[in-house]
Amino acid sequence: MNVHAPTMVRPHRWDVPFDSDMSDADVDALMATPVVASVRAEEFPAHIPLRGILRNDARIVSFQPGDIVCREGDYGNSAFLVLSGAVRVVLAPSLPRKLLGRQEVHKKGFFESLTQLFTNSRIPEVRDTERYRNIRAQSRGASGAETHIFIQDVPAVLDQHRTVTLPIGQIFGELAALGRVPRSATVFAETETRLLEIRWQGLRELHRYDPGWKRLIDENYRRNALHGVLRTNPLFAGLSAEDLQAVADQVKFKTYGAFDWHVSYKQMRETGAAGDEPIIAAEGLVPDGVYLVRAGFARVSVRFGSAQRTLAYLGAGDQFGLDETYESWKTGKPARRLNSLTGLGYVDVLRVPSHVLEKYVFPNLPAPPPPAPPVDRPIHDDAFAEWLVDERLINGTQVMLIDLDRCVRCDDCVKACASTHGGNPRFIRHGRIFDQWMVANACMHCRDPVCMIGCPTGAIHRHETAGVVVINDDTCIGCGTCANSCPYDNIRLVEIANPSGDPIVDGDGRAIVKATKCDLCVEQLGGPACARACPHDALSRVSASTLVEHAATTTPEATAP
Amino acid sequence: MRAVNRSSWPVWVGALAAFSGLMVWHRAPQLSIAPSFVTGYILFALVVFLALYSGRKRLSMLPVGKASVWLTLHLVGGALALALFWLHVETIWPLGTADRALAVLFYGVCLSGVVGYGLQLWLPGRLAHAGREIIYERIPTEIATIRGQVEKEILEAAGESGNDTLGREYLETLAWYFAQPRFFWSNALGGRSAEHWLQRHLTTIGRYLTEAERVHLARIAELGAEKRRADAQYAMQALLKRWTMFHVPLAVAMLTLAVWHLILVHVFAR
Repeated sequence: MNVHAPTMVRPHRWDVPFDSDMSDADVDALMATPVVASVRAEEFPAHIPLRGILRNDARIVSFQPGDIVCREGDYGNSAFLVLSGAVRVVLAPSLPRKLLGRQEVHKKGFFESLTQLFTNSRIPEVRDTERYRNIRAQSRGASGAETHIFIQDVPAVLDQHRTVTLPIGQIFGELAALGRVPRSATVFAETETRLLEIRWQGLRELHRYDPGWKRLIDENYRRNALHGVLRTNPLFAGLSAEDLQAVADQVKFKTYGAFDWHVSYKQMRETGAAGDEPIIAAEGLVPDGVYLVRAGFARVSVRFGSAQRTLAYLGAGDQFGLDETYESWKTGKPARRLNSLTGLGYVDVLRVPSHVLEKYVFPNLPAPPPPAPPVDRPIHDDAFAEWLVDERLINGTQVMLIDLDRCVRCDDCVKACASTHGGNPRFIRHGRIFDQWMVANACMHCRDPVCMIGCPTGAIHRHETAGVVVINDDTCIGCGTCANSCPYDNIRLVEIANPSGDPIVDGDGRAIVKATKCDLCVEQLGGPACARACPHDALSRVSASTLVEHAATTTPEATAP
Repeated sequence: MRAVNRSSWPVWVGALAAFSGLMVWHRAPQLSIAPSFVTGYILFALVVFLALYSGRKRLSMLPVGKASVWLTLHLVGGALALALFWLHVETIWPLGTADRALAVLFYGVCLSGVVGYGLQLWLPGRLAHAGREIIYERIPTEIATIRGQVEKEILEAAGESGNDTLGREYLETLAWYFAQPRFFWSNALGGRSAEHWLQRHLTTIGRYLTEAERVHLARIAELGAEKRRADAQYAMQALLKRWTMFHVPLAVAMLTLAVWHLILVHVFAR
C-alpha cells in the first residue's frame, strides 16, 4: 500500500445539510409539532433517523406578509409544511407574470428588429444597470441570504383572485418536488409565516418509511392529479367516473433513480463508467400490469449478446407493457415480457395492476396488435438512437442538430445568433458528434429541465405560452446553479459590462455575472435566427422524439435518387 | 460529395422558361426597342438581386426568408446571369477595353462562385470524417497545445537518456512541422504528403535512438498524426472561408463597373 496516498474523511450523505443553522433546539421544537409528532420515528432505519432528516434535509424559513413562497410554473425540489402563520394558494385566475417578477416576453416589431443592426453594442454583454433597480425594489432578503419576490398589494390580489388559506400543519409543494413537474399554483404568505421546507431527499425518506406521510402524499396525488393523468390516456378515456375512481384507487406509484440524476450523469461522463439503470420491469417475467411514465425517462430494451439493445425510450405520458398483459388475459395463458423497462436517470411511474385492467379496461378495449416480434433489423440501424439515449439527448425538445456533411463552417448561424442577442451568440457551434451529426452546445429546452431546479430566484423558467426555457436577466443573480446543473453544458455565465465597456463589479471588486443561453429567439420575428440563417439547411432545431426520423430522411442514402 | 439540393428544380425550370421566352423575343425580326437595352437592364437588375444575398446575411433578425432559399435563388440567378450576359453581348469575348474589363470581372465572379459552390459541396463531407472537429479559430491553440506536448516528450527523452539526438532532430526538422499548419494544398485536396513527410523523418531518426527514446518517438508520432488532422481541418476550413475573399470583392468591382457601363451607354447612345 502506498503510505503517501492522500487521505480524506469518507463523504457522508449529510455532510452538507440543507441549512447549517438548524439546531437541536429547532429539531426538538419540530418534533413537538402535531404533524411531526405523528410520524412513526421507530420505522426509520438507524442510519436515516427522523431527527437526522429534520436536522439535515429540512430548514425553517420565515416569510413576511406578501412574500411569494413558490410560483406557478416554477420547478422546485422541496415541499413545505406550515408551522405558524398562514399562506394562501392562488387558485384562479393566475397572478400576472409581472406580479410574479417574471419577464414579460415582448415580440419585437419589424422596425425594432431592424434597429438591432445599429443598436447592437460592439462590446459583448452590455447591460443597463438602471434597469435592475426596478426589480430589486420588488425583492427583499434577510441579511442577503434569502431573497423573496413579494406581492406589494395583497388586498388587491385577494379581491381579484380566488384564493384559499392553508392552515397550520398543511403540506404543499410535494407533488412538484417528488414528481418533477412544475408548481401548479402560486403560494404566498398572508401573515408572518414560518414554514418547514423539506428538500426532496428528506421527503422521499418520509414517504418511504412513514406510512402516514406516504398515505398523505399519495392521497394528495390521487385527489389532485391522478384523474387528470388517467383521463389523458386513451386506455382509460372511455371509463365512467366510478370506474375511473376505482382504477385510480388501485394505481401504484413508484419512483426510480436519483432526482438529481444530472449529477451522476456528469460524473459518468467524466469517468466514462456507465451507471446502473434501475429495472422497472424485467424481460422474461410475467407481466404485472401497464406502466405509465409520469415524469422522467425510461428505456425499453431487449437482451442482445452480452448487453441490452435499446428499442425505444419513453417519456412523460408514454406507457409500457400493454401488449403482453392483454395477451395474457385474452389467451388465459401467462405471457412473458418481451422487453425490459429501465429507468434513465430519474423516472416516476404509475403501475395499473393487471387485475384492475382485466376488470375495468380490457373487456371494452379493441384488441391491440399482438406483441411485436423480436427486432430483425441490423444493429447499425439503431446506433444513432442508442447514442441519443446514452447521451441523454432524448431530453431535448429543440435540439440544435447540425448535419456536418452539409455544414460549410461559415458560422452564419453564430453570426445570426449574435446579431439577435446584443452582439454575443447564445450557443457554441461545437458539441457531441455521432457520425455526421453534431448536437451543438445550444439549450435544448428540455422536457425535464434540471437547470431550473434550485434557481434561488426562479429567473430560469419555462415560458408559459412559448414553452421554451428562458432566463429573466433582471432577476438572475449569477449564482451559476443552472449552469452547473445543465447536464449538457449549454448555459454560460458571462461577465457584464456597462455601455462604455467597463466591467460591472460588486463592492468587493468581483465581476457581476449573468447566466445566458439560447432563448430560441422568443422575442424575434420569424423564429430561431440560427436555423433561418443556414444557407445549406444543415442546421435544424428538432425534438428528440423526431431526431432519428429527421436524420434518416436527410442522410445521403435517403436523398439519393 | 454532397448532392445538389434537388428540391430547387422548380426554380431552375422557371429560370429556363424565362430565359427561353427572352431569347424568342430577342430573335424577333422587328422590335420597337433595342434588345440590348432590355437584356442589359434585366441583367443589371439580376446582378443587383444577386448582390442582395450578401445583405441577407446581415439581416438575420428580420423574417426575410430562409438563407437556403436565398442561396438557391442566388445559384439559379447566377446561372441565368451568365446566359443573359452572353445574350446581351452576343459573344463570349466583347470588344473594347472597358467592356473587356467588365467581362473579366463578370467571368471572375462566375468562376469564383462556381469554384466556391463546388468546395461547399465537396469539403463538408471530408471535414466531417477527417477526425476531431475543431472550430477554425481554435486551430492555432490546438496546434500550440500539440507542440507543447511534443516538446515535453523531447525534454523527457533527453532527461531520461542524457542524449540530445531527439532534441537535435526536433530543432532541425520536426519544429518546422509543429510550428504552424503545413502542407496546406495536400491536406486540402486529400493528399498524404504530411503523412509521408512525418513517416520519413521519424523512421530516419528512429535507428539512432535507444529503446527508451523510441517510446517517446512513438508518442511524438501519435502527436504528429493529431497535428495532421488539425492541419487538414485548417486547410479545408480555410478554403471554405477564403473563396469568398475573391468572389465578393470581384462582385463589388463588377457592380461598380456595371453602373459606369450603364452611364456610358446612356451618354453615348444619344
